[in-house]
Amino acid sequence: MAGIAVAMSVPHDDERDLLRHLPLTGSGFWLSVTVLAIGTSALFYGFALQTLYGHAVTGQGSHGAIWGIVVANIVNFIGVSHVGIAISAVVRLLRLKRYQQLARLAEFITLAAITTAVTNIGMDVGRPERFIQNVLWYGRYTAPFVWSCTVITTYVCGSSVYLYLAMRRDLWVCETKVPSRRWFYGLLALGYRDTPASRARHNRVVWWLAVVILPIMVSVHSVYGYIFGLQPGRPGWYNPFQAPYFVLGAIVSGFSTVIVSLAVLRKTMRWEQFFPPRIFKGLGIFLGFVTLLYMYFLFSEYLTGTYAAPEGERVVFHDVLFGRFAIVTWSAMLGGMLLPFGLLFLQGVNHRIVSIPLTVIAALLINAGLWTIRTVVVVPTFYHPLLPWDVAPYTPALAEWCIVFGSFFFFALLLLVLIKMFPVLELPEAEEDERVAVRAPRMPLWKLAAVAGSAVAGVALIATGVGNRLQPEFFHPPVIWLSGIILLLSVPFLICVLPERLRPPVFRVPSVGPRPVASHPANAGRCLASASHRLVLKAPLHAIPGKRLRPFQ
Amino acid sequence: MSPTRRGFLGEMARAAVGVGLVPDPVSAKSPGEGPVRHKWGMVIDLDRCTGCQACAVACRAENNIPVAGLVDTEKGRGIFWMNLLTTSEGTYPDLRQQFLPAPCNHCEDPPCTKVCPVGATSQSEEGIVQQIPDRCIGCRLCEVSCPYTRRYFNWTEPDWPEELREQLNPDVSVRPHGVIEKCLFCHHRIRSVKERVRAEGRTLTDADVRRLPACAESCPAEAIVFGDLNDPRSEVSQLAESPRAFRLLEELGTHPKVIYLREAKWRE
Repeated sequence: MAGIAVAMSVPHDDERDLLRHLPLTGSGFWLSVTVLAIGTSALFYGFALQTLYGHAVTGQGSHGAIWGIVVANIVNFIGVSHVGIAISAVVRLLRLKRYQQLARLAEFITLAAITTAVTNIGMDVGRPERFIQNVLWYGRYTAPFVWSCTVITTYVCGSSVYLYLAMRRDLWVCETKVPSRRWFYGLLALGYRDTPASRARHNRVVWWLAVVILPIMVSVHSVYGYIFGLQPGRPGWYNPFQAPYFVLGAIVSGFSTVIVSLAVLRKTMRWEQFFPPRIFKGLGIFLGFVTLLYMYFLFSEYLTGTYAAPEGERVVFHDVLFGRFAIVTWSAMLGGMLLPFGLLFLQGVNHRIVSIPLTVIAALLINAGLWTIRTVVVVPTFYHPLLPWDVAPYTPALAEWCIVFGSFFFFALLLLVLIKMFPVLELPEAEEDERVAVRAPRMPLWKLAAVAGSAVAGVALIATGVGNRLQPEFFHPPVIWLSGIILLLSVPFLICVLPERLRPPVFRVPSVGPRPVASHPANAGRCLASASHRLVLKAPLHAIPGKRLRPFQ
Repeated sequence: MSPTRRGFLGEMARAAVGVGLVPDPVSAKSPGEGPVRHKWGMVIDLDRCTGCQACAVACRAENNIPVAGLVDTEKGRGIFWMNLLTTSEGTYPDLRQQFLPAPCNHCEDPPCTKVCPVGATSQSEEGIVQQIPDRCIGCRLCEVSCPYTRRYFNWTEPDWPEELREQLNPDVSVRPHGVIEKCLFCHHRIRSVKERVRAEGRTLTDADVRRLPACAESCPAEAIVFGDLNDPRSEVSQLAESPRAFRLLEELGTHPKVIYLREAKWRE
């Protein structure tokens, strides 16, 4: 036992701080869980209203707003989800050490936001009970909704694998450092061995995954742009510009959400030492820059829409800028973009101003502004159908507000759960410099075959799905190509998780002094077998010398 | 032609990516192949229309369209497979109203079928844009994409007053809450007339279908004519050639199969 105690490194002060957020203690935590759970119940209350009384409880109508604020909310959360992995991937690819501790929090924000968005989609459609099944089973390749299902699945699987592999070593560390949840982290670490070669392999795989994930992430929000931009019958939407516009909007709202979440967590989790104000300033400068870019996009769109556009377009944009939506639009543009941009600009150009509250206020305003702008993207077109039908004015109803506000609580609750379950901050590696020197060993043949087999099977399935896209009733292509994508994304996972040898090497606890008879594993087994009927085993099994032990336990 | 290296490489490249580029069997079929199919269309003579709305009422009764009630109708949640689009020209006292009965246009290139993620709506071989309520997930993308606003979402469970329940049509299924529905050119009537004609051992004539849909049958001014646009002798084909003929939002290129006739220019 002495050897085990020596092998387990004593928790470092720094590591203790890094893992301080994990235990489920403190009145603050339980209070926040309660508040967030109550808020989340609003989401399900709104959904229950819709299910019980029909979508008529919303303010929408066929001769009215066919889509309402819930769709704007979906776009918002898809946008927020966009940025987590972006930050993480960029931090990794560009080696931005200063922002390294932000990466995993951003990834958690991605997962929480995309779950919220998909929940919202499920609540907005008319038949939630069959929407996922039918889209997967009967999906048509021409439909943006099917593209969206494909890219979201790819994104969720890709980012989960990315998140897991980047976090695997920390899970393994937690196995020893957080004794209360030892089995949980032990299970999740999936037999990780902290060798320089293994670290090198993980780093390399995660780096490549980051390269792959960035374009996937752009595709996710582009598809949402296409859902609107490919509608020739909708003035105000039909626009090739929609995809990059949505991607940019996603970056803006995602960044502001990351800033707000980070500020809240920094305060509540006492992470001041890991996130100095300089980080907020840096994020603020970038947020200001993308907000400026977004304003430029908005200006272009509004100018094109009002200058000499076809009548159908012009009435919509006129309504947005000077008509019934003017108050909403201008307050969002001035209060939610120009003002926060000014604040961030002031902070950016003046090296003496490094203010977290200022950055957070700007980020909050931008978040609200962007959300509002999205409703102004979704709703006004319904007031101006191409044929002169009477249109019922749209006022969002209680059920919709419940879903929208409940979503924010739901998002925060998911985020809190993730933070409490997993190590958010990256734990330092003892041998930081080893990474460069050590190369991962060549994979054994069987492992190579498994990995290559998954890759080939994945590509083959994708090709089969896409190739048979014209017979959706018979082949169910989306299921086939999604299975292929999942299989393909399992490749990095397999590379890291499959062991290097089929039989792991035996690690023996070094013993001092003369070795007892049973110290050799084979001898131990033999002795135990012959003496078992006479022995009452007092010591726990793992204390027997020579018992297979995982390193440092 | 002798094989060239460039041609061979091109073929190989095409074969490599070809798995994803199977030609669309629908578009690949050259016109004139196989038996001539019907292409159902409708002509509505606006100069005959009196705006009596008999077509809309008949359509409701025929197709089991639920009654939305006052509040939901005001909120734009009523369902009208056939609806009268009413616009005013001029100002009082020189006010002139124009009525336009608007069923689904059954576009030749419908934007709604393309966006449906689950194939709940598609174009039949006879050109009818059909809808399968049991498949629909209620995402409303088709409704959003229809430039004519001719698709309707069921915002509530369908409901009828007691007396109307007695006259529900057994030939048409009732649609539940949360799915889209639309005008189907009374396809159940087309099916039954085809069966009748087959039983009588003759072929379908223009007279069999001229007043087939409920709206055409009920129109007292005989403003609505139904028929086969593929048959050049049918009344719809001939009326479609009229100098008075126009289609709604023609500039979108959806090629509606509902054709309107009007002496004066229709103004939207």
